[in-house]
Formats: sequence, C-alpha cells, structure tokens
Amino acid sequence: MKTVNFYFSTKLTFDDYIHDHSFALRIIPPETENQHILSCSLNISPYISTKQTIDAFGNNVTSGYIKDDHRFLDFEIKGYDEIDSEKHRTDFMPCYLYQSEYTTPDKDIIKFYLQNKDKCNSSNIAERTAFFSDLLSEIIEYKKDVTNTKTTASEAFALKQGVCQDFSHILLSILRLDRIPCRYIAGLAFCDGETHSWIEYWTGEHWEGFDPANNCPVNDDYLIISQGRDFRDCAIDRGIMFGRYTKQLQLVRSVLS
Amino acid sequence: MSAEINNNQFTQAVGSADEINELLRRYGVKFGIYKNGTFKEQFFPFDPIPRVITAQDFISIEKGLVQRVNALNEFLFDIYHEKKIVKDGIIPEDFIYISSGYLAQCEGITPKNKIYSHISGIDLVQAKNGEWYILEDNLRIPSGASYPLIARELTRIACSDAFTENKVVDNRNYAQLLKDTMDNANCGGIRAILTPGRYNAAYFEHSYLAELTDSVLVQNDELFVEDNILYHKTYSGGKTRIGVLYRRIADEYLDPLNFLPESLIGIPNLMEAYRSVNVGIINAPGNGVADDKGIYYFVPKMIKYYLGEEPILKNAPTYLPFYSEDRKYVLDNLDKLVIKDVAEAGGYGVVFGNELSKEKLSEFKETIIAEPRRFIAQEVIDFLDLPILDNGETVMRKADLRAFVLSGKETKVWASGLTRFSRNPNSFVVNSSQGGGFKDTWVLSR
Amino acid sequence: MGTISLEHSDRLYWLGRYTERVFTTLKSLQSLYDQMIDKSHKYEEYLAYFGLDNVYENNNDFIKKFLYDANNPNSIAFSLERTYDNGIVLREEISTEALSFLQLAKDTLIKSKNSKNTRLSLLPLEDLLFGFWGCIADNVYDDEIKNIIYCGKSVERLDLYLRMKYPFNEVEKAFTILCKNLRNFSKNTPYRYNTKYLSDLVEIIGTKDDYENNSQKAIFSLEHIFEEMKVNI
Repeated sequence: MKTVNFYFSTKLTFDDYIHDHSFALRIIPPETENQHILSCSLNISPYISTKQTIDAFGNNVTSGYIKDDHRFLDFEIKGYDEIDSEKHRTDFMPCYLYQSEYTTPDKDIIKFYLQNKDKCNSSNIAERTAFFSDLLSEIIEYKKDVTNTKTTASEAFALKQGVCQDFSHILLSILRLDRIPCRYIAGLAFCDGETHSWIEYWTGEHWEGFDPANNCPVNDDYLIISQGRDFRDCAIDRGIMFGRYTKQLQLVRSVLS
Repeated sequence: MSAEINNNQFTQAVGSADEINELLRRYGVKFGIYKNGTFKEQFFPFDPIPRVITAQDFISIEKGLVQRVNALNEFLFDIYHEKKIVKDGIIPEDFIYISSGYLAQCEGITPKNKIYSHISGIDLVQAKNGEWYILEDNLRIPSGASYPLIARELTRIACSDAFTENKVVDNRNYAQLLKDTMDNANCGGIRAILTPGRYNAAYFEHSYLAELTDSVLVQNDELFVEDNILYHKTYSGGKTRIGVLYRRIADEYLDPLNFLPESLIGIPNLMEAYRSVNVGIINAPGNGVADDKGIYYFVPKMIKYYLGEEPILKNAPTYLPFYSEDRKYVLDNLDKLVIKDVAEAGGYGVVFGNELSKEKLSEFKETIIAEPRRFIAQEVIDFLDLPILDNGETVMRKADLRAFVLSGKETKVWASGLTRFSRNPNSFVVNSSQGGGFKDTWVLSR
Repeated sequence: MGTISLEHSDRLYWLGRYTERVFTTLKSLQSLYDQMIDKSHKYEEYLAYFGLDNVYENNNDFIKKFLYDANNPNSIAFSLERTYDNGIVLREEISTEALSFLQLAKDTLIKSKNSKNTRLSLLPLEDLLFGFWGCIADNVYDDEIKNIIYCGKSVERLDLYLRMKYPFNEVEKAFTILCKNLRNFSKNTPYRYNTKYLSDLVEIIGTKDDYENNSQKAIFSLEHIFEEMKVNI
C-alpha cells in the first residue's frame, strides 16, 4: 500500500472566441477496492456550474456547458489517495470480452495471433497476458508523434510503432481474440510525465492490471482515472463547441508523487 | 377461418384514388428521397382499397402484440442490468454483445417507469391460411403511423358512406395515445420531437405528429444540456426545459460526447441528462439490441422466460446458421429460403434463395459458413396478397402490416396500422424507401 | 408550447414577409394588367420602382416572367416557393390546414400558367392567400407566434408600398399596423425596434409632404429597423 499525491491539469486555448461549449470530463479518479481517495478537488475555469454522474463503465463524469464567448477552458485536479494493488476489483461487464471500435483486429493482427497463440503452452490467463505482451514489446517500438488519439489497434500494429495507448489497444485486441475479457485504463503513473494508459484482464474472478508499454504488471505506482472498452470510453476530456476558431492548443501536465 | 379470409378480401375502393391522392397532396403528405444525389419530395402513393382486419382477428393480434412488446421491454431492462436471460442460457451471450444495437454506454440506465420501447412498430404478414406471422420488431424509431392517420381523416371526407356501411374503429386516437405515452415518459418539462431536418425522408411525419401532440419540433442546434437538464433555446435568449424528447434520429448520432464524436445532429451530454432521469427519451437508446434480426429468433423464448406464457403470435419459421443443426438445414435448403443480413435495414440485405444462380448460391453458402452470425434464414411465407388499384384495374400484390404498440401506463395496440404494398408484382419487398405504396388499415368494431 | 427558437422565429418572420410579397405583387400585377389593356410597355415604371433592368419584349413577356418564372427573384413563383419553404418547417406552429393553403396556392399558380384567361385564373390565388391568413388568425393561439408572422407581413407591406410610391393614406395605414406589431416585442428579442430608425420613420410618415420628399430615407430606415442599438459609453 502506498499513499500518493496526484495532480493533473489541462489548458485548452483557442485562437478565436467559442461559445455553446459542452464538455464531459472523466478526470476524477474512482473510489475502488484498490484505490481509496482521501482528498480530491477539481477546479474549472472559467467558473461554471457542473454536474457529476457515473457512467456505464464506473467513471466519474463531470459535465458542463458554457454558453457565452470564451477563449479557454482550464481544469486541474489535485488530491491524494491510497493505492493498494494487492487488492482487486470485481466490477465485471461481459462487453469487455468483445472487440470494440479501437480494438477490432484486421487480418494482420488475426494472423499474428493465430501464428503465436499456441507458442504459449500455458492456459493461465496471467501467463498468457504476459506472453502476448512480451511478444509485442519485441515487435512494437515505443515512439511518440507517429500515432494520435484516433489511431486504432490495427493501424498502430501496421506501423509497429506507437505510445502507451496503442500498446494497450493492440494487447486488448489480441487478448479478446484469445477470449480473455479485458479493459482499457487511463490514469497516472510514476514512469510517465503525461497521462498513461494500461490494461486490466479478467482472471475469472477479478481484474489484474498490466502495463504493455512497459511490459510489466502494475503496482502501487498506478492511479486509475478511467476505464472502458477502449480509449473512446475513457477520454479525459471531450467537448463540442461553436465558433470560428481554427486552432486549439492543449497543454497537459501531470504529477504523481 | 374461411369467413375471416373472405372478409379480408375487401375489394371496394374507398372513394377514387385520384380524389384522395389530391387531398393527400393538399395536406402535404410527402416522402423525401434522394435520387442521384438531389433531394426530392414525393407524394406517398396511397391505395384506396383498405386492408380490413376483423374484430375477432384483431383481438388475438392485439393480445399477441401486447404480450410481445411487454416481453421485449422486460428483455431490455434485463440486458442493461442483470442479464438473467443470458446467465440462464436462454440466449447465447454472443448474440447480445456482437449486435450493433447493444450499447454498452446504456448499461445500468433505468428510464422512467422502466419502459424502453414506448413506440414499437411490429411488422406482420398474413399467410394464405389466415395465420398472422411476425416478420420483425422495430423498437428504435419505427415510422409510418402518420400516413394511415391522415389518410383516414381524408377518406372520411372523400367517402363517408364507406364508414357508415362498415363499422370501422376510428384510428384518429393515435395523437392522444402518443401524447399520453410521451407524458408518461415525461420527467418534467415540455414535449419535444427531435428531427434531423426537413430533408429527412420522414419529415412530414415529424412535423405532423408535433402538431397533433402539441409538441415543439426541434433540431439539435436549438437544444443544449446544462446542469444535466435538457433545454430549448428561445429566440429571446431564454430557455425552456424539455421533459420528454421523442427523437427521430438514430442512437449513434444522439450525443457526440457519448456516441459518434463526429455526429453533427446530436445533443452533447444528452445521455448525462437521461441517465439522471431529467429527461425521457422515446425510444430509449440501446433498444437496437432487442430488434436485431438475430435476436428476433429468441423473442418467443423471451415471452416464455419473462412472462411464463405461450407466445400468441408466431414468428416466421426462422433458422440461425449459428447453430450447427440450423446451419445444415439452411445450406441444404438455401434455394427455398429468404436470407437476411442482420446488419441491414429498410428492405436491403434481403436475398431470396430461389432468385440466385447456381454460382451465386454456392458463393453465398461460403459466406454463410464464414460468417454464420451475420445471417438469419426464414421460410418464404405464402403471403395473402391484397388487392390494389393499378391504373383502374384491381391487381393482387404482396403487403405487410406495421402495427404500432404504445407503452405508457398500459401497453396499447393502435387499432389501425400501416399497410405497405409492393407495386412490383414479383417483389416481396414493401418498404416505402423502395418505391412501395400504402393503404389504410381498418379494424372492424364487430 | 410557448417556446420559439431563433431559427423558427426567423422562419415565421420570413413566412410573413414572403406571403405578403406574393400578395402585394399579385395585386399590383393585376392592376398593371388592367392598365396594359390600354397601353403597351406599361411595366417600365414598375421596373424602375425596384431598380430592375428592362429586358422584356412586351407586356405579355413581362407578365409571364413576373408570374411564373421561378428563377426571377421578383416573380410570384419565386416568392411563393420561399413562402412554402418557410411554411413547411412550421407545421406545428401554423397548422397543417394553413400549410395546405400554400400547397394549393402553388398548385393554382402552376395551373394558371396554361389557362386561357390569366387574370381570371389568378383570382383563386387571392382567395387562397386570404384563406391562409384566416387560418393564421384562427388556428394559431400563441400570440407570440402570430405576432412574429404579422411583423414580417407588415414590414414587407410597408416596404413594398414605399418602393411602389403608394398613396400617403395607404402608407400611413401600413405603418400604423407595423407599429402595433412592433410594440409587442421585448428588448431581448431580434424584433425589438431600433429607436433611432423608428423615430425617423415616425417623422417621415408623419405628413404627406415629408413622405413624398423622403421616401428613400424611409426605405433605408425600415431596412435597419431591427438593427441592434449601439450603446455609446
């Protein structure tokens, strides 16, 4: 068990005024069996009233609407919590066994899976997950700026390059081919300066975390912010706005200490 | 049974087709279609010979439909909560989660009064032996009720005698039924109907139903969600709360922050307002899992499972290539069956085995073997053809019946329905998007 | 209902304007037609009112193009199509019945094209427009909706009367009707009058002499009547 401080901030700046701006943030870490939130505060600027709901995947959703003209949206969250990766979550949903938008495999992923699935002679789910992650770490190179938030598992697999999000999607795709239920996690980790992504697989009884980008199981240094079938269910901020802006600049900073 | 069938062979036209089509024109009963990339409004061709359903027949159809829709609503609640029907092995899990209509985002949401399908459009056909069969359930945004509704209004003007001679149940209560259904789902606020705009095929219906139910007809840019409440923006800068939204746009486009991010016709954060039970959505998002062509096979089993009753209305005999036994039958008898692609709608993706050449047939078998979950196969029902007027002559054509079931305080079947017919003598496909016409549907009161 | 969006208020306003444009244009074409019985090229003055080029061969050519040519933005056919376009998205506000009069008006205009007696065949078009206005008066119970349509109608009427140099007493009446409608809009609506332009109009349409000397300025003021007022700090 470990007590950690977390801090996360995003500054969205637009080059012209925007209005009728609706947003949904998935940024408040959920209270779960293995993370106990001791304190947490969210600040949003410009100041507006927001509402909290919990979505289908168990994420805290903060939604808001800014009617009048504005040129920025900043939000930051800070707090501290206890993480205990020895404890396990059990919030299962059957849909995690099925491929989702980002993970649907193409022929190449299927071929890769079929070529390798029997090379792991264990039927133990943890071992199979580690085995597939090992394979991926050999053939996929961690590289920034070659993929983006819209890149699917198949696209990243074709590139053989990507960031944590892409590693997660490819591993999810393969585990689901192997009939192992698994889900995407967005969160903060010590080893990463921005937000991080990893996966959880279902052992049959509970969830276990695994970090494919670092090819290791997760420990007390990982704070979960949101979870879902893939990135789309977990996006930390999503928004729809109107105006004549042509560019938006996003600055993200995160600290886990 | 034979007496009933004779009754159905009602061949007397109600007024002249010209007169009524003239009236339909006058009231703007149109149907929008895209031809070669440009939008055209067409008048929906009306056939003046009504389909007649005897009082006796209607009683059993009514019971059967109420039973079916109640079971489907139970199923939707179950699927988005405990999933008992899957755990108890009645429906294989795959059929739920591979269905494009299943929306994981709707897990755990309980709409007001636990009603998911407020307006169900159930398509039936009558076979030559008089038996009614369910062809498909439409629990998303079934359209078409406005056509027989306004046609009745106009035929009563054009040919009142027909209604004096035949005791026909008045169908013009649809507006009140719909209004009551909307009010039952209302979470506090005004009634609104959400349309994608005047270039939608069913725009006439959207605007007509808005007029009849005293609802405001809205497009997404007039709406916003603030503090998880849905509001209508007024021209004076104010806002009016919407309590129930009868939306006529598909689930995927409903809320760009929860579904397709590129949707330009949705309302951001609508799902948060809905989840908080601050607004009723008619029909509930996620209903597609229950009217999936693959799930159709299991509806009779749902009726037994949830209601402990025997199904009153039969499905058309259906086979699922997913089950090896059924697959064998389908492959052996493909030339006699009708195959439906579960992902397609509106009469598309329907293949009649007897229309395929030998090569096509064996090609198609390969496809079924490769993707068994994608198809269902049905016996071709020997439809009871209905008479229609074609240039002054009476000819027999294929027709189906879309019955409308409204679930409010009680589940009620509208004593009418949309009878669609194929204008092409060789076609079984009756969808208006494929050039068919429509008839009024008379339910006799005795 | 009692809730009107900006989009719909705009549609209501233009529904009023175009319906009135059809009606007043129809009336003046009927009157021109009458004068044409005695005189050739009688339309030149009419073209001058609107600053239009004379590209017409004769009386008949002019009349046909101003009645039926849907590509001529000054024709009845064009305005009627715009009327219908605005009406079709307002069914639940104005009623199916009111809308049916617009459909019938379109059908009547098309039918009139092949008629032997144009003037006679156009008479039902006037009846239908009166029918439409009857429906609006009778079926629309929301005063706000009604008022926006009437506001469009009265702006259009005054504008056309000013352009066509209608006699003072007619213009005065049209202006009085407009003022009655304008009074019903509160400050935060798009139909709140601009005080400056309204007082200009009040001044110009105050006396016969002023009207006759300043009608151009009146047209200009009317064009800007809904312009947002600039607040000088």
